[in-house]
Amino acid sequence: MLLCDFHIHTTYSDGSVELGTAIDLYGQAGFDVIAITDHVVNGDNLLGKFARRFRFSVREDNFDEYMDSLKREARRAWDKYGMLVLQGVEISKNYISADMSAHILVLDIKGFIPACLSYEKIFLEAKKQGALTVACHPHHLSDNSRDTLYLWNNRDKYARYIDAWEIANRDDVFNVISLKKYHYIANSDFHKPRHLYSWKTLLNCEKDVESVKQCIKHNKGVAITLFRN
Amino acid sequence: MMAGILWVFSVLTAAGLICYGLQFWSILAAARTVESACGVPGGSFLPPISILKPLKGLDDNLFDNLESFCLLDYPRYELIFALQDRNDQAHKVALKIMNKYPDKDINIVVQRRNEGLNPKVNNLISAYEAARYEYVLISDSNVLAGKDYLKMTVAPMKDPGVGLVSNLIEGVGGRTAGSLLENLHLNSFIMGSVCFLDRFLNIPCVVGKSMLMRKTDLEAVGGLPGVKDVLAEDYLLGRKMNESGRKVVLSPYRIQNVNHYWSLKKFLNRHTRWGKLRWKIGGPKYLAELAANAVFISSMPLLLHGPAGGALVLALSTSLVKTAGDFYIGKKTGNYLNPLSYLLVPAKDFLIGLIWFVPIFSSGVVWRGNKYLIGKDSALSPCPETFSTVQGMRKTTWSYRIANTIRERFA
Repeated sequence: MLLCDFHIHTTYSDGSVELGTAIDLYGQAGFDVIAITDHVVNGDNLLGKFARRFRFSVREDNFDEYMDSLKREARRAWDKYGMLVLQGVEISKNYISADMSAHILVLDIKGFIPACLSYEKIFLEAKKQGALTVACHPHHLSDNSRDTLYLWNNRDKYARYIDAWEIANRDDVFNVISLKKYHYIANSDFHKPRHLYSWKTLLNCEKDVESVKQCIKHNKGVAITLFRN
Repeated sequence: MMAGILWVFSVLTAAGLICYGLQFWSILAAARTVESACGVPGGSFLPPISILKPLKGLDDNLFDNLESFCLLDYPRYELIFALQDRNDQAHKVALKIMNKYPDKDINIVVQRRNEGLNPKVNNLISAYEAARYEYVLISDSNVLAGKDYLKMTVAPMKDPGVGLVSNLIEGVGGRTAGSLLENLHLNSFIMGSVCFLDRFLNIPCVVGKSMLMRKTDLEAVGGLPGVKDVLAEDYLLGRKMNESGRKVVLSPYRIQNVNHYWSLKKFLNRHTRWGKLRWKIGGPKYLAELAANAVFISSMPLLLHGPAGGALVLALSTSLVKTAGDFYIGKKTGNYLNPLSYLLVPAKDFLIGLIWFVPIFSSGVVWRGNKYLIGKDSALSPCPETFSTVQGMRKTTWSYRIANTIRERFA
């Protein structure tokens, strides 16, 4: 089984460790597959403008640099640790109301997707790029100031676009995903080194990008585990 | 009254600084030995060696630590990773290392052993049984070794009278306050004490992160089963070896202990545990540690009488001397901690002074998730279920809560 974490932030957005350090932290711990998913924040309101102003977001003007760094670090991670690194972002549509907010992981992204697009356009653009979409922390969190409920509240409309839902995020478990029988994965939402010890995904597939994507998409051979030391 | 107290503590501080000076000198002397030995060829004494690596959980830098043992410049050695449980997080890392270096002689032994109360020794027993060579090196999982490590460490074994070779350890890295405190303490007090005991008192002070022995010598002193129920198996192996007439040698070659993400709690826990070991083994000699902590002693007048002029000068000047001394040691030993981290030295010494008292009141330790009571010479006994509670007090009382908190924090 491959030990995986598909939700990791670095100093490219609001993470506390630099990209190389995050890669090393996971590599040293024996992970097989990870995805770096820094925030791409919507700039159409005050919250988003603040995040972009203080560089808590990957932006269109530094997206290529972000991708180049990811590719370089992915090669290093493969050579040194035999660890596969997927390029991703977390499209973050933040509003004052949790009911309006949603975060979407786009895994194996190729080109920039602005967060101010409509949800449909974001999902369609991700599909066009052959990327995988994951609904992040879709239900109530223990820290409810981080709640992002829009996708869950509008699941009848958007579920068909979503390849998987986070059934667990860091310390929270969302049983509603299980009840609805949605495809699932579990992630750390890593921002600090201590977040390494949290919910993770186990995949029973080959260690290459396409196999990993197919495994998540078809949701066969997927398990979750609480990674502790 | 204040002047008298200040005078007494000034004298005690001066004595503490003299002790520190001796430690300081011992470290620098050991550093000079390394420099002179670096140019010396390894020689022809290169026997095959079995390296035993007990693994449990994820240490900082585990992958690199294990990998460094695959890159040793040494003709023939085997690497044995020993685990108690296939589900241990370290098992996956060990497998990755084995897959990355298929040409290396690596063996992973997974066996749940319950011979004794010391989980590290239990782990080592299965590794030892799998070891093929006469020379065995016990090496902790948090050790990062340089290419010359084995050649330099085995050199003293050419003398058949030598029974055990251990190494100096230095703390490196540090991305959290706890890690910085740990590394500063390893590089000053721990390294200084080991060098001081070796150089001035000829007392073998073996730190178990690296111990090279012959199987015949180890078995002659009772082998690993002989230390299965003690916590300080390293120190006691050194002592047994010494008592059996074999020399115990401290190799000046420094191995690295990479500590990046330690919490303050982990730092306090380790040094409280080590303090308890020294108290149980050394008895009254343990008092010397407090006497050698000049920073802590010099801060006493401040604590007793507030920030009066003389007390402030004594505490600040002592802190300055100690900080500058530790910084100089770091520079001379080539140990590149962030220079700003040395500003934490006085706080670290003060904390160490505070936890020095804990072993006198508590015999309980928590080590890698296991709870024990330790007795003379660090003999372990299973911890009664009541350990985490304080007997004779009702759970609802404030005194119970305070006493229980103190016990659990420092266990």
